[in-house]
Amino acid sequence: MNPLAYGLLFVVVAPIFGGLLAGVDRIVSARMQGRIGPPLLQPFYDVGKLFQKEARQVNPVVEPLLLGHVGFMAAAGALALGGTDLIFIAFVFALAALCLVLAAGSVNSPYSFAGAERELVVLLASEPFFILMLAAICKVTSASTFAGVLASPVMVALELPGVLLAFLFVATIKLRKSPFDISTSHHPHQELVNGLTSDMSGRLLAYVEMAHWYESALLCAFVVLFFNWSVPLGLLAFAIAYGLEVLVDNSTSRAKWQLVLRSTWAVTLLFTGGNVLALFLLGR
Amino acid sequence: MSELIVFLIAFPVVVSGVLLVVTKGNIRNALVVGACVVVAAASLITVFTFGNGNALFFGLPGGVTPGHLVLVMDAAIAVFIVVVSLQNGRVVAPIMAAAQLGIALYLDLGGHLPDPDPSRLFWFDRLTMVMVLVIGIVGPLICIHALGYMRDYQRSNPMIRGRRTSFFFLLFLFLGAMFGLVVSNDLPMMSVFWEITTICSFLLIGYTRTEETIGYAFDALNMNLLGGLGFSVAMLLLSGQPDGMDLARLTAGPAGAALLPAIALLCLAGITKSAQMPFSSWLLGAMYAPSPTSALLHSSTMVKAGVFLLLRLSPAMAGSAVGMMVAFVGLLTFLFASMVAVTERNTKKVLAYSTIGSLGLIVGCAGIGTPELVWVGVMIVIFHAVAKALLFLVVGTLENRLYTKDMENFDTLLSRMPRVSALALTGIAGMFIAPFGIVVAKWTAIRAFLEVPGFEGATFLIIMAFGSSLTIFYWGKLLIKILSMRSIEPYERSVEDRVTRYEWFAEIVLAVGVVGIAAGLGWISDHVVGPYALAAFSATPRVFLNLSPAMIIVMLVAVLFLPALALWASRRSDYDLADFYTSGRTANAGHLMGAALGGTRTVTLRNYYLEGVIDGSLVFRSGTAVCGVILAGMVLVGLVVRA
Amino acid sequence: MPMSLFKRSPWILHYDGSSCNGCDIEVLACLTPLYDVERFGVVNTGNPKHADILLVTGSVNERNIEIIQNLYRQMPDPKVVVAVGACACSGGIFARAYNIQGGIDQVVPVDVYVPGCAARPESIIDGVVSGIAALEQKRKRSA
Ligand code: SF4
Repeated sequence: MNPLAYGLLFVVVAPIFGGLLAGVDRIVSARMQGRIGPPLLQPFYDVGKLFQKEARQVNPVVEPLLLGHVGFMAAAGALALGGTDLIFIAFVFALAALCLVLAAGSVNSPYSFAGAERELVVLLASEPFFILMLAAICKVTSASTFAGVLASPVMVALELPGVLLAFLFVATIKLRKSPFDISTSHHPHQELVNGLTSDMSGRLLAYVEMAHWYESALLCAFVVLFFNWSVPLGLLAFAIAYGLEVLVDNSTSRAKWQLVLRSTWAVTLLFTGGNVLALFLLGR
Repeated sequence: MSELIVFLIAFPVVVSGVLLVVTKGNIRNALVVGACVVVAAASLITVFTFGNGNALFFGLPGGVTPGHLVLVMDAAIAVFIVVVSLQNGRVVAPIMAAAQLGIALYLDLGGHLPDPDPSRLFWFDRLTMVMVLVIGIVGPLICIHALGYMRDYQRSNPMIRGRRTSFFFLLFLFLGAMFGLVVSNDLPMMSVFWEITTICSFLLIGYTRTEETIGYAFDALNMNLLGGLGFSVAMLLLSGQPDGMDLARLTAGPAGAALLPAIALLCLAGITKSAQMPFSSWLLGAMYAPSPTSALLHSSTMVKAGVFLLLRLSPAMAGSAVGMMVAFVGLLTFLFASMVAVTERNTKKVLAYSTIGSLGLIVGCAGIGTPELVWVGVMIVIFHAVAKALLFLVVGTLENRLYTKDMENFDTLLSRMPRVSALALTGIAGMFIAPFGIVVAKWTAIRAFLEVPGFEGATFLIIMAFGSSLTIFYWGKLLIKILSMRSIEPYERSVEDRVTRYEWFAEIVLAVGVVGIAAGLGWISDHVVGPYALAAFSATPRVFLNLSPAMIIVMLVAVLFLPALALWASRRSDYDLADFYTSGRTANAGHLMGAALGGTRTVTLRNYYLEGVIDGSLVFRSGTAVCGVILAGMVLVGLVVRA
Repeated sequence: MPMSLFKRSPWILHYDGSSCNGCDIEVLACLTPLYDVERFGVVNTGNPKHADILLVTGSVNERNIEIIQNLYRQMPDPKVVVAVGACACSGGIFARAYNIQGGIDQVVPVDVYVPGCAARPESIIDGVVSGIAALEQKRKRSA
């Protein structure tokens, strides 16, 4: 199959994957709290319903920006699987996140604005990691594309254990899981209300949800890159990692943005930076 | 060719002389516009007659050499500096100027200067072409913008005595000197043009002649003179070498141990001029000059002279310790300047830090010196010149209409000045919106860093990862402010109508330029920058930028997205600007919110400046210290080795 | 018209007026493992922009009229209001107090009245189910 087809496949399959993942997430969370939880397909019901509701436009730039958010997120995944240079993906990924920040920030609401600023902090905290991670993967495999990394005989996870550890940490941020859910939250009645999404209604909120599905699928694809010798192993690793994230989500409370920024930079610098430095010094 | 070059240098100088005696506003406007058209046309003609793109060397018409003219100019500059400094009670600048003059006297009268080859005074290749286009197209646009800007500037700052005559005199004199600088192949000649740009910058920074700005002007003068002194000492060291004054021969390949100390000193000159740490503070002081000055001298052209010299020297320092140290200075400056920018509220200062950072990237690339990285450096020169000039001009326009440079006051700009917002958004998109423009350059740079072995490669990579994330943060904040909307009063709507047609013209042309460069990225890479990088290193042909159609689509969408969105949104009316969530309290569009005991409070939404996590002044001071140590090490070790 | 998904995903905004907090405890009880309304896709959103059902406990007083009206106005259509408990329905035992205006229907249209002091979780859930039916009708009417 040619890479372009993989890219198109991502656009279609990723939301299904991401939506199901969100469904499993909610069930597992409920079980951890001693509840039964919603049906597996609940995220799809929610998004479907949101499309049936009225969308209140608070600022006309919001809807196009959110479409940009979904679009660039899908494009990031599609380009990655479609054989584009992986480092390029890091920038498209950041652009997608920026669209969400702008959509929320351009609303005059204090909650939405605070969410946007914090999301910007989150972006600042996590972006160096993603650039370094993709660069390091390209470095060890001497490949530049997704297929190239999968075809490489080098076992990435064994070369980049520090980066993998840091990934677990940073993924918490990108999946918007507690304690790093500083920019938005599904749990109500907190200082943030819903942060970023406070003023998004109807399909506007649905776009955010869908972009998040794409994002989870892309993160899953990144995990697979680490286990490039066996895709099923990569998926399994993602499942385990996600389970851990849910556990942490249910057992911690939200951190301050200062802590998020400092700790993420520290982890990125120590584990990822250290690992990269070792690679370069050993001449890999 | 040689006539054209002489025209390019001489014409702006002549115009500047005429402008000095013209005091009537209307005549001056007509003269400036006419001269700008001629300069732009002449630079285009020069580029088109350039031929197949291989390097050309030529002299003055009739084979004359400048002879002692260089010395006369040096002396004039030195006398000027000494007089002006002593009038203001400064002593550092005269000492350096005198030292420079001493070296020039020794070299020229002592007969230590080899006679320049009359057929190799000028050097024109693709890099020169890029610089000529930047100076000859962006420069005149900024001059035209200044016609509108300065009128309002005088109006809103009545206490500043009108000195527009000398202002335009300096702008044109500067353009002539810049043309001279980028086409010179003979080092003594180049150093004269170099010093003239320093003086223009000095006088323009001190334009308002307040205590404060005079201080900043002298800071800039001192630092640039230090660089100029480095240039002079480098010539002193090179005077014994065969072809020592021939820049093209000097930089044809890796420099030997004998030449490296001189190269290091030339790098020092380039680093001061491009405001790298530890010399960044002069560029921040320069932000007190009127905005067209910032656009022309301190972002799109003069500071580019510094990186231009470093890019020229790149093949000579590639792989040497000097190159590595230059690379560290550049990349650390990029990192530290981006960090400080995050904590800054003054939009002009944010632009200044961003300029220092972008120049730092170029310096870093030049220092490492591979064809890929020189490609990256030249690409950034192009993007940055156009996009940053646009941004400075837009900030100038805003400053004259809104009486503020504070980022927080650009709130709801989209409702108040939709068309200006669209222009600002184009500039910002050109600067950083992934994956266009500088981001393409960053992407290629990261790829190239992967090939740099050892500690350096890993460090460069880490610096790049953090530095580019920081740029997202400060641009993001500015974008949020611009994109917010509210219902506005009719008088606010009329503010935009007062923007002059000079300003509209310059800004719109630059905005179109930004989009044009985005569309022509592949062509520019294949026909201009790529061949230059290969020729500079005599490297084997390769493709520098391999864009798939999908990537080009994503890039064009990305660059047009925000400006188009802004224009579209400002025409919409079917939304409810008051209807944002404030816990059920009534909040109106003017940001008043019901509060306790029946009162109202104003809602203010203020950006994050990362207080408590990043201390701007501490970062700036540590950056200055670290880069200062590296630079001092580089120069001193070079001199000791040489001795 | 595609199948309505409102009955699979009713999102609730809970507003506490002048209640004694008795009904609020019962509302929260619905979320606990014993009743676990999330089984039916119910989410307590805490944000009018996301909500389909405005669930009000307690009565209306001078100070919260504005709030209830704003919250109701900010909910995107279709939307319903469920008044939970005697206070929300009519003012309850506080009805004669100097600052009380009466039930929620004094300020916004109420679709479902859930009686009780306090209303039991079962009847609250029943009220929400009735609310969903009303939601469905409104959607059909506007479609
Ligand atoms: S109805 Fe009864 S339990 Fe409910 S809020 Fe009123 S007084 Fe309290």
